[in-house]
Amino acid sequence: MEQLIKDLKLQIKEALNLEELSLEDFDADAPLFGDEGIGLDSIDVLEIIVLLEKEYGIRLANPKEGKAIFKSVRTIAEYVQANRKK
Amino acid sequence: MNNNWAGTTYGNEWMHRWLIRLLRHIDTRVLYVFVAVFVVPICLMLNPSRGIIYRYFRQRIGYGRLKSAWKTYVNHCLFGQVVVDKFAMYAGKKFNIEIEGAEQFTELTKQKEGFVMLSAHIGNYEIAGYTLVSKVKRLNALVFAGEKASVMRNRSKMFAETNTNMIAIQPDMSHLFEIDKALTDGEIVSMSADRINGSPKFIEHDFLGASPAEHASDAESHGTKAKFPLGPFAIATARMVNVLAVNVMKSSLRGYKIYVTPLHYDKSAPRQEQIKQLSDAYVSELERLVRRYPTQWYNYFDFWGESLEQSDKRTKLSAESHRKHD
Repeated sequence: MEQLIKDLKLQIKEALNLEELSLEDFDADAPLFGDEGIGLDSIDVLEIIVLLEKEYGIRLANPKEGKAIFKSVRTIAEYVQANRKK
Repeated sequence: MNNNWAGTTYGNEWMHRWLIRLLRHIDTRVLYVFVAVFVVPICLMLNPSRGIIYRYFRQRIGYGRLKSAWKTYVNHCLFGQVVVDKFAMYAGKKFNIEIEGAEQFTELTKQKEGFVMLSAHIGNYEIAGYTLVSKVKRLNALVFAGEKASVMRNRSKMFAETNTNMIAIQPDMSHLFEIDKALTDGEIVSMSADRINGSPKFIEHDFLGASPAEHASDAESHGTKAKFPLGPFAIATARMVNVLAVNVMKSSLRGYKIYVTPLHYDKSAPRQEQIKQLSDAYVSELERLVRRYPTQWYNYFDFWGESLEQSDKRTKLSAESHRKHD
């Protein structure tokens, strides 16, 4: 799981062009959205949706799932581990 | 000044119902006259849109003072007509519609992949939703979630006959999943790309930067940048789908002309470059149509997000430039 979290951090950082964010500062449990956490927004969600499909073969189509999955890097990693096809 | 926009149709539900009922019995031209004589003068007195549109004509289109003042009035009258036409459609009235580039739309509907149609708040885009229809591909129109219930109800009624689904922009971002699903399912997604709505991320472009006269005379007046939402361009390039610009302009009292133009970008280029190329193409097409129909610009907010100081400076530069060219 820890390796998957590390991979996801790196992939998200690259996909979203978060150059100023170091991997050490990228807390796996920090909220991805809102002022308290990383501060991502809806466009970033779209990038992560495409990333999950490309890297792990996961197609997210249910809007109801989205909020819980994209809470933090750890919640994304848990979802990937349970649903990855690649 | 904030250039985010939370657009909704003016008036309450009772007014909308009343308007639709009225339009079933009277000619739209009667209401055009009523709007021009009674509604627009009051709006111009009370609404800050007067100054915003006047400055748009002065600084962006390059008109003189008197012409700008007159065109500000015409712009508000045309906007009134477009609103009347929208409700006239709900009331069952038909318009003469000409389409330029219809084959571009037909060609894409025959393909397996989904595609995106980008519009703007010029002319009367809603007409496109009832005209450019495909039996095989469902059209998903992204709409503002805060729109009045009466408008949404009437749109749903009209759209039900045209294989169209509405996706409302939601704070929980669920609309993104719907858009993404629609595109991967090979459907059409339609949205405007001129107002920042939802995500605050934007891409800047030199848009109507200066009138031709200013360009010729003063390097400093080569326009401030306008901010366009990043979302529509990010969505299209994320799925690397084809994109059409679709704009519907009022061409006569009862006529509209739909312009369908393919927006090209290099799908093998790096992602940021794709976004830049696509947004460049969109802005260029928007500028072409705004220059052709300058009075049908309906973004009643500070589109260029200039400070008052910048705005005053530009007005002075524009005035000097006009004096030199007169």
